[in-house]
This record gives sequence, structure tokens and C-alpha cells, in this order.
Amino acid sequence: MSKKLFFPLAAAILFLNGCKPEDTFDGPNLEDIYGPFFVTELLTISDESVDLAAGESTRLNARFSKNLNWKLEIIGLSSGARHVHEEFSSVMDYNWNGSTSILPMFRQESCEVMLTFENQLDTLRDTLTVQSIRPLQGFVLSDFESGVNPGWDPFIQSGANMSFIVRNNGQAAQGNNYYDMGGTVAWDWLIGLLDIPASAYNVEHFPLSNNPSDVYFNTMIYKPAAYDNGLTLIQFREDDNGDGNYTSGQEDLWAFEIRGGADGWSTISKRYSDIVTLVNGSETAPIGNGLHEPDKIVKVSILFLANPTSGYSQAYLDYITFTTGGPLQP
Amino acid sequence: MKINHIALVVSIFLFETAAMAQQEVRKITFTGAARAQFYGDHYQSQNEEDTVTVPKLNSGNTLVDLGINMRPNPQMEIQGMVRVRNDYGGFWGAGVSFDVRQLYVKGVAGGIVRYQLGDINYKLTPYTLWNSSQELVSGTPFLFQQQTDVVNYDHFYNNDNSWRQQGASAEMAFEFGKWIKEIEIKTVATRLRTTDFSETNDRIFSGLNLGLVQSEHLRVGFNYVNVFDIYGTSRSSATFHHPVMTVTMNYNRKMGSWLHTLEGEAGRSNWYYKQQQEDSIPDWQGKFADAKYKIKHSDKGIYGSVQVKYVSSDFRSIGAQTKRVNYTGSMSAFQRIGNAQILRPITMIDLMRESGLYTTQLQTNLMAFAPQYDNITPYGEATPNRQAAIIKIGYENKKSPLSVSATYYRGQEVRGEGTTTLRGFERYEVDASFNAGRFISADDKDASVQIRVRNDRTYRPGTESVPGINLSSRILTAGMDFEFKKQWHLVGAFQLLTYKGFELKSIRDFNQEIYNFSELNLEGSEQLASAGMKYSFSDRAFLSVQYYKFFNHKNEMEEALFTNKQWMLLYQINF
Repeated sequence: MSKKLFFPLAAAILFLNGCKPEDTFDGPNLEDIYGPFFVTELLTISDESVDLAAGESTRLNARFSKNLNWKLEIIGLSSGARHVHEEFSSVMDYNWNGSTSILPMFRQESCEVMLTFENQLDTLRDTLTVQSIRPLQGFVLSDFESGVNPGWDPFIQSGANMSFIVRNNGQAAQGNNYYDMGGTVAWDWLIGLLDIPASAYNVEHFPLSNNPSDVYFNTMIYKPAAYDNGLTLIQFREDDNGDGNYTSGQEDLWAFEIRGGADGWSTISKRYSDIVTLVNGSETAPIGNGLHEPDKIVKVSILFLANPTSGYSQAYLDYITFTTGGPLQP
Repeated sequence: MKINHIALVVSIFLFETAAMAQQEVRKITFTGAARAQFYGDHYQSQNEEDTVTVPKLNSGNTLVDLGINMRPNPQMEIQGMVRVRNDYGGFWGAGVSFDVRQLYVKGVAGGIVRYQLGDINYKLTPYTLWNSSQELVSGTPFLFQQQTDVVNYDHFYNNDNSWRQQGASAEMAFEFGKWIKEIEIKTVATRLRTTDFSETNDRIFSGLNLGLVQSEHLRVGFNYVNVFDIYGTSRSSATFHHPVMTVTMNYNRKMGSWLHTLEGEAGRSNWYYKQQQEDSIPDWQGKFADAKYKIKHSDKGIYGSVQVKYVSSDFRSIGAQTKRVNYTGSMSAFQRIGNAQILRPITMIDLMRESGLYTTQLQTNLMAFAPQYDNITPYGEATPNRQAAIIKIGYENKKSPLSVSATYYRGQEVRGEGTTTLRGFERYEVDASFNAGRFISADDKDASVQIRVRNDRTYRPGTESVPGINLSSRILTAGMDFEFKKQWHLVGAFQLLTYKGFELKSIRDFNQEIYNFSELNLEGSEQLASAGMKYSFSDRAFLSVQYYKFFNHKNEMEEALFTNKQWMLLYQINF
């Protein structure tokens, strides 16, 4: 090959090798931003009467002309429970297993299904029926459907307007009943407490995994809009030495606080390995062997506290349970 | 290949030690510059009665850059320069600042390696380390260029497109007797960022250039630059890595009176974070190829070139893509305007004078740019996502007062943004100057006229639902310099920018991914007219008085309809 031709040809080959047009593009699809929106396949529900207690779920489907943000809402017409799912896509292919995004949980009731789209007026609606509620998850300390466990040991101060009672007035987060804690105690932070010993369930220790990263403590708690001064302290007493009892000052006492938060019901889940030792609300060194041993818990205590100068305080409890492998999915 | 001999070459470098040894070299010399600059601005809103903005503003400064150059021996040079600046209105210490402007040591070690430590002006190639000129106000007539030169000088922007860095460099060369004429080795390492001992690591720029000179006709090169974080210099476990590797070639051959030159560069880049906890930051792996054929007639002064280039969408090279202009920077004159005191949009006159709009540090991510100023090559030659052909023809002859050049750029994206349909780009530009000085006067007075026209267009067909893109901008620049009396110059300049059209500007997140588009319905104009007088004390000193009238119109903002009248007094001396 002529020397004169070599370099121009080499450069041309090098260049042409790189100049391949690409059939992909960067960024979001402009058709999704500017393209017309219309529903290509209407909302369908595979099972319009779903038996959640039997583990059934129902599949909801729809198709649209372009990718966009859409929101699926399933609303309990009796309970007001809400399940919300949002996605950016042109296809809705969603399986609902009865879970709840916004408490209370779904009951046996009719539900409205609503599908809305960002920046679009269109709304697709349908209904379905929850035949039975979801089965309880984990080792349930109480959902108060049968009142307070007789093995529990409550302590209630003799303050003013004390409640500490199971109520059934349609406001429960799960089922029909919940536990109302409230009152005014002008001389002490403690308003009342519930001691929940393992013996209430006819066991020496709560039947939990020995892996603290795998165990979650969960409860549903209600903060009334009118009262922000309540503080709920959850304590876990461990039997470090295996004698079947907790010895104060010698064995581990883990705790966490629930204060503030949004008004209404919310689900609190805490991984057991993340719980610390508290003294007067401040984290401190563990008292016992310092190991998180959920399989050695002998007592759970729920203390309802408030600043004595702050007046009346109130909170509700429901669905107290230990779950394994992940937090409670209401 | 048998090498007859290897000679260590030092003489090719600037440090001509042999020559210096024979001459009597001053051990200490003083260098530097002095400048006095004064602005008198008058802002006027054209759309509403602006009762909030103070319309007149006087500002300026006087400064001296005083450098000491020491040569303790013929192989070593030490340069230190301090800047003493006094802002207009500053007395008795108020408004006075002292800065170290330059500090370096350089020399030749063992007669073999040329080194420099401290402040370094360094460049490699347009795709590895290259400080591209700012848009709109580069290559303007003398009158405008005076202001831009002040900004460039203050930010160490040199005509050779080098970046001012702080670090160390070393260079050496080997000369061969047969087959290969010479091999040059250049290395550089600078620190771009210092640790904050928390979440920010030390960031280093390193570069290597190997140049092989086969003959006077053929030269090939290999370039490797890498920007990287040093793990362990902070608590962050994520480190940034950005290697760019290129090969270059230059081949020339003279056939008769025509000099033919073929030059090219091709390479790859990578941009990624290592040890990132969340695997959310993508790797950017890109490539490019650039080839250019040039031809020039040695007698007639005719020249031309054809260039073809491809730069992939993912090509990143922060040494070459960092812009001088930081469009998120702040301005000192009329930063907020209107009764609502909104931020004033950046205009061409701001690019000429506002120091706060310029950066001196290489930027990790692609910087913001103004599509109305330059939508085609906002990041210089290394602008990503471009494939183009560029044709240039021109005429320049010392025997003729006229020089003219015309450039045509036609290109398109490599990868679409939001669609597979590619944007197309078109630019034509004509530059002409007429230097009549020595043709009309025996004592070689300056008399020149310069004119430039540039037309840019960006287009992309739309669909039934997606609007098409069609943005055009036109720039007309004209200037004159007439030496009506020895050393007295009458100068004038005019620049008009008009732009109109629709563009969907991509919005990138911190990881450089496009996550949205911003609709730009642009229509506006900027007009700058100026006249002045200059007295040249010598080639190194002048005093210039200028009057500017600037008019801005932008359809997006009512407040952007304003005029700015400006007086500027500039005295400058280099010594």
C-alpha cells in the first residue's frame, strides 16, 4: 500500500468505526411528556370478592397510551382503610394482598378502587369486597379483640380522667377493639403501664428467634390531634442468666420511646437489635451482658408517660406483635 | 531497530541552558503588571419604572502584580508574584487585598529532566486537557477584547488554552539516530481539590504524554489523563475515577507549494465512582474520533480544511469539557433588577467583565451553558454527543491587507435526548479583517476593520405530540481601530446577537443523567455598541477610555428589557 494512502485510510477506518448511530436515547421519553393520554385497556379486577384470611389476593390490570405517574387507591368504605400504590409506567399489573398503607386496616367491607393519573382528569373506578380480614402476623401479644389478657399486670395511677380500657367504638386500627390509655397525673410522669410477662402466654420466654436482627417489635399507636404531650415507653426485660426471671440492675433492659409523630394511627416497628438501653430517655451502656437476646425476653412493659405539668394526655394501642424476618405489614 | 545513539535532549525546551551559560544572566529580575480600571454604569429599565434598583454604580480597582524572578544558578528559576489590589473607594487599608498570584520553581535536573513545581500552566490536547475560550466574547474586536483580556489575565486564561493548576510537571526527551527522530515524555500531576477531612477526598489530576517524532513529516502521540480521589483522605468510602486515553497523529507533506496536513485524535474515557455504597451512580464510558485534513498554499495564502468528528454521548473529559464561564456564578454589577429584585440574566457584557462568572477549577460534571450563545459546541471540541463535518476555507497573506475565512459546520447528535430522533446542528461563520495600516501610511500606523458573522441553527423534527426544535442565533460583530495620530487610536466596536426559537434543554442530576427537559421559548437580542480612544505609551502600556451602550431584550422576562450605559477607563502596563 502506498505510504501516502495509509494514514488517510487508517484515520477514515478509525473514524467510521466510531460513527454508528445509536437507537437508544438519553433521558425520559418525550412521548411520555408530550404524547396524548388515553386508556387502552380499562381497569379489570381478577377477584372482586377476595378472601384475605385464606391468603387470597387480587390482581388489578389496566393499560395506558404512555408512561406516566399513576396512583391506585383501594379505600375501605366502612373502615376508611386505604391502600395506595404509585408507579411510573404505561401498564398497571398489580397484585393486592389486602395490605394497608394508611390505617386502620381493612375489615370485612366493600372497597372502592380508584385509579388516577398525574396531570390528567381521567379517573378509573371500580369496587371489590373484602370477604375476610388478613390473618394476624407474628407472635401477637394482643389485638384486644378479647379484651386485656388476664396474665398482664396493669398499673394505673389514681389521677384524673383515667381511662386504660379496651374500647369498641369503630376506631380500632385492626379488628374492632383497641386499648385506650389516657389521664392526668399531676405528680408523676407515669400515667399507667402494662406489664406483659411471657407467663401470660404459658411460656418462660417469648417464643422468638435468637437472631436480634431478625426480630421486630410492632404496635399500632394512635396520637389524638388534641394531645402532643404523650410519651410511650416500651421496655424489654431479658433473662440473661437463664434463671427464668429478670433481675433488676444485673440483666439487660432494652427500651425505646414513641413520642410525637403524625395524628391518627400509625404502625411502629422496631428491629430488636436496634433497641438500646435508656435511662431517663438517654442512651446508656447495657446493664447485663449487653447482648440482644430476643429468645430470652421474659417481660415486655408498655409505659404511658407525660410531663406532669402538661395536663391530660392520651394514646391508643392496637395489634401488638413480634414479627420475624421483617416489620409488620398491616 | 538499531539505535545508533541516544542523546538526551534538553535544548528543545524553553530552558536553553547552553545559551544561558554563555550569556550573563541576571540573577534577580522583576516582572509583573499594573492596572487601573474604572467603571461608571448606568442601568435603565425599559419596561417598567424600576423604583428599587439604584441606577448608577461606580466601581473599579487599582492593582499591581509584582513578581520576582530569581535564578540562583543557570539550571534553576524561582518565580514569586504577589498582587496588591485596592478597590475603588478603599483607603487606609479598607478594600485592600494582598494575594500570592504566582509561585513556582522550575529548572533542569541533571541536565536531563525539566521540571516545574508550584503553579503550572498546562495543556495537552483538545480532548484531554484544554481550556476552551469562552463563548461570544472571544476573538472580538480590540475594543471589546480589552475587557475580556482583563478577565482572562485575572483567571490565568492564556492564549495557548492551558489551565492554571497547582502541582508538579516533568518533561524529558530522547533523540535517536535512525527510524525515530525523537521521543518526548511529559508528565504532570496537580491537585484539584483538598480534603475537608469529612466526606470530601483529595482529588488529583495526573497526565502523561508520550510523543514520538518519526520525522519532520510524521508525529504520533499517546495521552493518558486521570482524575481520581485518594482513598483514605476523608471518611468517604466512595472515590471518583476518570481516566481518558487518546492517541494522536500528525502527518504533513509538502507537494509543490501546497502543504498537506493530516491530523487526528481518537480515544476513550471512563467516569465512575468506586466503593459507592449505593449502586446508583452510573459509569460513563465514552469514545471519540477526530480527523482533520488541512491544505495551505505557501505563496498565495489560501488555506482550507475538512474535519470530521465523532464524540459519543457518554464521552467525558473534565480537563477539556470544563467551561470558563460558570453560568451559576454571581455578578457584581446590578445582580438584581426590577421592582421585584429578580436575578438579572447574564448577558454578553457580563461575560466581558464579570469576574465572578468565571471558574479556575476543573469541574467534575458538565457545566450549565446558554443555548442562545452556543448550542453547538458549548464544551469546545470535546462537546459530547456530536458527530460533525466542518469545512473551512480562508485567505491570509502578508502581502495583502485582507484576510478572510469561512467555516461551515454540519452535525448531529450521536444519541437522541428523549427521543431517537437526533438534533441537527448547522453553523456558518465568516471572518474578515482589513489591515490597511502599512498600505496607507509609511510609518505603519494601525488602521484595521474587522467583521464577523455567525449563524447557528439547532433543529429536530417534532412528532404529532412532541414539539420540534428550531433554535437559531445570529451574531454580527464589527470593529475598527484607527491610529489617527502617532500612538493615538480611535476605536469602535459593535456586536449584535439575536436569537429565536424553541429548544428542549436537558436537565441533568448530580450523576449527570438527564431526568427532565426544560422548555425554552427563546426570543431576544443583545446589542452592544462602543467607541473610545486609546493612547499607547508603548507595546506594553496603554491608556484607554471607552463608552458602551448595551441593550438587552429577552421575551421570557419583562425585567430583561433594559439598557446599560457604561464608561470604562483602563490603564495597563506590563513589565
